[in-house]
Amino acid sequence: MAEYVLEMNGITKEYGQNAVLKDVTLRVRPGEIHALLGENGAGKSTLMNILFGMPVIHSTGGFKGQVVMDGANVKITSPMDAMSKGIGMVHQEFMLIPGFSITENIKLNREISKSWLASKMLGREMEVLDQNKMAADAKKALSSVSIGIDEYSLVGGLPVGYMQFIEIAREIDKANMKVMVFDEPTAVLTESEAQQLIGVMKSIAESGIAIIFITHRLDEVMQAADRITILRDGKLVTSVDKSQTTAEKLAALMIGRGEEGMMRVKARENEISDEIALKVRNLWVDMPGEAVRGINLDVRKGEIIGIGGLAGQGKIGLPNGVMGLYPAVGEAELFGQPIKLNDPASALRAGMAMVSEDRRGVGLLLDQSIEENIVFNAMQVHGDYLNGFLRLKNGRAIRKYAEKMIKELDIRCTSPLQPTGTLSGGNQQKVCVARALALNPKFMFVSEPTRGIDIGAKQLVLDTLVKLNREQGITIVMVSSELQELRSVCDRIAIVVEGKVSCILKPDSSDASFGLAMSGSKLSGGEQA
Amino acid sequence: MSRKQKKPGMKKRIFCAVVFALSAALILTSVLGFTLRTTKGTLGNLNEMRINAVLHAASDGLVESIAADAKGAKLKELRKLPNFRQMGMNEVEGQCQEAEDAARAEAESKYSGIMDGDTTKVIEKIAPLNSALEAYAAKEEAEQKVYAEISVKLYESVADWTDFAGENDDQVLSEKIISIVPEVKEAEHLLAGIIKDVRNIASEEKENDDEQMLNQLMAAVKGALINYEELRALDDDQLWGEMVNNVPELAEQEALKDTLITETRTYVENGANGVAEETEEAVEEISVEREVNYEYFVASSELDALDDQAKAAYNELFDELCVLIPDLSGLDKKMKNSIQATIENVVYSENLNFSERYGIYTDQKADSILQGSSKTTMWLAAYATQILIAGIALLLFALVNIFWRQLTKRFGVPRTIITLFFIYLCLAAELYNIYVPLMLSNVLVRVGMYGVLALAMLPGIQCGIGLNMGMTLGCIAGLLSTVIALQYDMTGFTALFFSCILGALIAIPLGWAYSLLLNRMKGNEMTISTYVGFSFVSLMCIGWMLIPFTNPKIIWLLSGRGLRVTHSLLGSFAHILDEFLAFEIFGIEIPTGLLLFFLACCLIMWLFSRSKVGIAMTAAGSNPRFAEASGINVNRMRTLGTVLSTIIAAVGIVIYSQAFGYAQLYTAPRQMGFIAASIILIGGATVSRAKVSHVIVGVFLFEGVLALGQQIANAAVAGGGLSEVMRIMISNGIILYALTQSGGGSRE
Repeated sequence: MAEYVLEMNGITKEYGQNAVLKDVTLRVRPGEIHALLGENGAGKSTLMNILFGMPVIHSTGGFKGQVVMDGANVKITSPMDAMSKGIGMVHQEFMLIPGFSITENIKLNREISKSWLASKMLGREMEVLDQNKMAADAKKALSSVSIGIDEYSLVGGLPVGYMQFIEIAREIDKANMKVMVFDEPTAVLTESEAQQLIGVMKSIAESGIAIIFITHRLDEVMQAADRITILRDGKLVTSVDKSQTTAEKLAALMIGRGEEGMMRVKARENEISDEIALKVRNLWVDMPGEAVRGINLDVRKGEIIGIGGLAGQGKIGLPNGVMGLYPAVGEAELFGQPIKLNDPASALRAGMAMVSEDRRGVGLLLDQSIEENIVFNAMQVHGDYLNGFLRLKNGRAIRKYAEKMIKELDIRCTSPLQPTGTLSGGNQQKVCVARALALNPKFMFVSEPTRGIDIGAKQLVLDTLVKLNREQGITIVMVSSELQELRSVCDRIAIVVEGKVSCILKPDSSDASFGLAMSGSKLSGGEQA
Repeated sequence: MSRKQKKPGMKKRIFCAVVFALSAALILTSVLGFTLRTTKGTLGNLNEMRINAVLHAASDGLVESIAADAKGAKLKELRKLPNFRQMGMNEVEGQCQEAEDAARAEAESKYSGIMDGDTTKVIEKIAPLNSALEAYAAKEEAEQKVYAEISVKLYESVADWTDFAGENDDQVLSEKIISIVPEVKEAEHLLAGIIKDVRNIASEEKENDDEQMLNQLMAAVKGALINYEELRALDDDQLWGEMVNNVPELAEQEALKDTLITETRTYVENGANGVAEETEEAVEEISVEREVNYEYFVASSELDALDDQAKAAYNELFDELCVLIPDLSGLDKKMKNSIQATIENVVYSENLNFSERYGIYTDQKADSILQGSSKTTMWLAAYATQILIAGIALLLFALVNIFWRQLTKRFGVPRTIITLFFIYLCLAAELYNIYVPLMLSNVLVRVGMYGVLALAMLPGIQCGIGLNMGMTLGCIAGLLSTVIALQYDMTGFTALFFSCILGALIAIPLGWAYSLLLNRMKGNEMTISTYVGFSFVSLMCIGWMLIPFTNPKIIWLLSGRGLRVTHSLLGSFAHILDEFLAFEIFGIEIPTGLLLFFLACCLIMWLFSRSKVGIAMTAAGSNPRFAEASGINVNRMRTLGTVLSTIIAAVGIVIYSQAFGYAQLYTAPRQMGFIAASIILIGGATVSRAKVSHVIVGVFLFEGVLALGQQIANAAVAGGGLSEVMRIMISNGIILYALTQSGGGSRE
């Protein structure tokens, strides 16, 4: 028997020009819990998609490298193929049918049937289900994940924690299971459930099944994993045994760019005053997938503060909540004046502006021209660019301002009349910034300003933000998933975990403290800035 | 766009080149033809054809006459035979035909030589006849115009012809007419005819009224009498008593007593079959616009004098023809008259164009004198227009084929096809000799008529509810205010503006309530608005019956309640906008007031679209989440757009009725939404994006195609109805196309 149950050697995957995996190797021994670590976008999902033979991989040109199971080269062509080869997956989103019973869900598409008169005459299609055998199997699988629940109850209406365990039970029930992938299984579980899950994982591993454990929580990794593989930017960083590392080291390796790729900006000349520009107390925002749960934050006048954190932790919910785009409760003050929540108009009138993360959805009128997009908010909120007795739009003033912004922000376009839908991502983002600036804001939220735009444009957008901050004294709250970006531009960086600020760091804080802060680890409080 | 940009293939190139070459050849040929028209040779040929045609007309008449005589003579001869009765029909017919053919052949050979005779004298007489005919025609046209003007004025001013019905004294009648149309005094010779006309109309109207009255009374009687068995046993007086008992109005109708009794008896005998249909039929009122009746036109003495001159000129010509063909003088009067009509037609062709003259002369076989090449040149000259049209059509076809991709990208598929269709229709109009100015006037009126209605679609699309099929709500508001104006006998601009303003006021709450519904059903607006539109029309079908209007002019005469289906606006505000400042240019009547009103509405909407609220509304429609993030209340903007759309629809239907001349209630407004939607879509709008210019372009294209298509369809295919089929096909097709495109309409 080979040393490794699964080897993925030299995996390289490109989507078009964009390499998402570069020569990644993953080796898993039988019966070990192997943690796979990495930031959002490090390439974990792509690696797993390759392992499962997902259609998305084949339809985009396949991959380079080889997959070896039990010492033999294998070609996995489809998820069904992967399953038959003994690879199972516990999904992040539950793949269960609510209207079916637990037994039916566990045995879905692998039903046990018995023959009877009609099936003898008409073939196997006519066989009936052997309910008793199936129930017995299901019961066995359930007890192996140690939850005591009747196998005949319907899945719909069960608590989320239970569903997670049923998913696991379903995978365990499959015969010849060799490798199981757990994709962030603890994300939706309570702490005690998470502990229970880790126990189950350990007992599964003891039975000889290898487990690939994908998670952001470093303390869980330290608790459960035998071996750890870290990916960063599509490259393999290292594979280490748990005994040879610590959570701090892992965090540093996960973030670990050090000075590399830092876009240093002009240093600040003047000191930031102590005056508070935005004060947020106990703010709850109901934004799907990015819920904010009682956040507290003080933003000082004249600074650029970064909001970082992993996807789904609520960092995007903050600007959307304050600006009134999603239902919010709590308190927020701008320069001492309370902001009326859930009312975008009054938020804008108070002197705030926002560049939305959803550029094409919320940020732009794609059919309308650049100039109309740029002056839209100023016209609606302040009544600018209207003239005459009838208060009609002042074409000349609009054109003048649009041309000025096009020049200042270097928006590449054929004319101010070009529809924004035909612009490239970076130029669209600049139009969004120009629109926010037309409001003459004292305070700006910039949410994911570099998402989906190329490197050169990224630099320009960031430079623009710094310039606005330095020259016009606009206080900027910048939300970004890219830590490097925040560290290069911001004066302070608040890391949001589970809808709350876990800690506020300086841009030159160590990689380890960022990594720990983002994984929500309680091992260290970070350096307070 | 996922479709790959392919270079046009070799086949397509060759095809286009061939079509190009063909069209170029045709166009060059037609240019040659047009040039030939002006050359001395062809003109000389044409004039020779005219003389030839005159001679042919005369000799052909003679030949036909001789042939007919021979046939008659043979028949007479056969009758005398003893075995005539035993002969079959076919045999008699065959023998007669034989005789006729023989006589014709003989006569033809006998008279074929006259063309070679001395025709100079005949030629001399043609010119004077032509000028005399011209003078007569000009004078007749002028006089008939006066007559028509007087008649039209009379028809429009008289609302109730019953005043004239009983009047036997010509003097009294003529005074009455003069008091209405003082212009008659300047053309007193017309008066006699007009009096006849008026008498005729009055008696017709009275007959209609009587018939209607009778129908209505019968309907009432039928409704009231149920017990047929008992009724059958009654004698006339008892039956009448029973009828009066049930329908008290009958007591005043002693005059109709006998007719009514007879009708009732038939009814009672036959039972109550088909009561409902008959009743409905009886009360259906048909109103037709009166046309000038030239039957009663009386010529003035000057015109008579001119007529005499023309006759004299013809007689001189005929005398000369008799010299040439002596047998002509022996013809009977009927044949002479027929020859006269033909010859006058041939002679009086000086003002016609080349091809028309050629056509007339060719009908008289005058082309037989053309020899060899002159035959071809004359043909080319005559058909130059047709050749040119064919050439242009081919050229256009080739061009469109080549630039198809660019055209469809710039204008969209439907607009390209419709525009192309329109151009081809214009070419066809030239071929079918349709009088273009009249057609253009027709198009202009229709543009004004439907323009405002189509404009109602604009705020709907802009605010994001899509095609507002529920604009029928507004139409009903407008119709309601129109009948209210009729109820109070309002007339003129007061009535028009009252209807518009009241209609708009009624439309506000309707549109508001409707928008609340739409705001709760985001994403399903098309379905909701179509259902709301249809069901509200049906609801109002009950409403029109129940609203207590009292003016007898607008309610059902008999039951005394409920509005009629169609209301003539003559005498109220029919056509007053059309005629406001109307003028004629190049034979095109410009309905100035109507067009100005439409353009003013467009201007207001354009200004609105440039205002802060207008811009906010458009943003709310094209990207609700963007608008919300900008502090705009999206629901309020949708409500605003819906209410605006409903208001414009209310004004639009008033303008429509004004131009149409009738207000149509009940199910008539149902289709309005579809027409308006297809207009704005043809103009280039999508279901999510529209501008004022789309309305203007669309209404010209759509109505142009319809107005022109209608005439060509009528010219090409006998029987009406085709244009209505075409309208439905175009309008529904275009809506369907727009809906299939709605997914890809916005930029990605």
